[in-house]
Amino acid sequence: MAGFTTSNNRIKVTQNVTSGGVTTEETVFDTNSDMPHIVGTTYLSNQTVDFSNMGQTQNYAGIDFCSSNTCIGNEWNFTFTPGFYTYETEYVYVPGEWNFSYDFFTSSYSRTYTPSQFFSRQVQVYVPSTYTRSYDTVFDACCVTDYFRYSVNSREVNNTTNIADVPEDEDGNPIDIDFIIVQATGSRSRNGKDPRFNQTYVSGVPPKTFSFQGSVLLEAAAVANGNSWMRRIMSVYVSNNKVKLNKKESVRSINNEGLDVGFPQIGSTRSTFNFNLKIFFGRFK
Amino acid sequence: MAITLNIQPTRFRASGSKLDSNRRYIRKVSSSADLKFVISRNMDVKNGGLRYVDPQGNNSDDNNYNGTFSGTAGVGIKVT
Repeated sequence: MAGFTTSNNRIKVTQNVTSGGVTTEETVFDTNSDMPHIVGTTYLSNQTVDFSNMGQTQNYAGIDFCSSNTCIGNEWNFTFTPGFYTYETEYVYVPGEWNFSYDFFTSSYSRTYTPSQFFSRQVQVYVPSTYTRSYDTVFDACCVTDYFRYSVNSREVNNTTNIADVPEDEDGNPIDIDFIIVQATGSRSRNGKDPRFNQTYVSGVPPKTFSFQGSVLLEAAAVANGNSWMRRIMSVYVSNNKVKLNKKESVRSINNEGLDVGFPQIGSTRSTFNFNLKIFFGRFK
Repeated sequence: MAITLNIQPTRFRASGSKLDSNRRYIRKVSSSADLKFVISRNMDVKNGGLRYVDPQGNNSDDNNYNGTFSGTAGVGIKVT
């Protein structure tokens, strides 16, 4: 059983629908309802979505204490010793001697003998200051050094461009669009690599034509435990009578595992996507 | 030959069957929707993480997302 009524500028079509042994009369068309429909279509070819290379920063991580004695060098050492007073032992020898004398009254000679002497005594002396230098061997000369760890710079990229106007009505006024459906064919013309590995990001873009409403995940990367540290998405939507393409990238800083070693693929992290878009503009009324 | 108007006890067709009671024309409803139409952006990224707003308007975040994006729920659509 089908029904068709027209009254007061309204067209309504009903149909009996049987489900689970129960038949009910369902409305299949009603001009009083908001029925989605397409009011226009736009083709946009070669829409480019580009994400630039990431950067990295060298961060001080500590001192590397090496004790292998395998790295031998030389260095000058300078030593200053100030002057000072001290006491020294001085040894004195006084030889023995004869003393002669003549007595005129007695007209006689006499002599005396003073024996030799040997003794020591303490005397104060000043030792002047000295300034010496030496050229010494140094072990681990190149092992005691600072070391650094590299990290990917965090960043948030948010860029929106107008890619089309919404359709116009007969009077040339923009139609108030309720929704769009985007049919896309895309490819990645530049394959960005994970900065840690010689491995491209996994692309979220299907190899065939696909449809979406809202946003699409383009690329992602995660650390070992599965937590995401990088996401790249794009969104196509209508705002202020314009079709807008928004690209967003979010990068959370991660550290490189090795010391004193930068990310080997940091210069190859740029990705470029190219899309051909067919946009269906829809309204409910 | 195209059908301009055809009315039978069990079927109604008009305008070359563009309007046909055997079809299920979808329509917007405020409740009891059979599906949702996403009408705007439904993903956001921040701090290396992702927020996905499902058609019901619920947020699904991964571990690192710390943004404030609030997407809108999809519009309810009735099929029958």
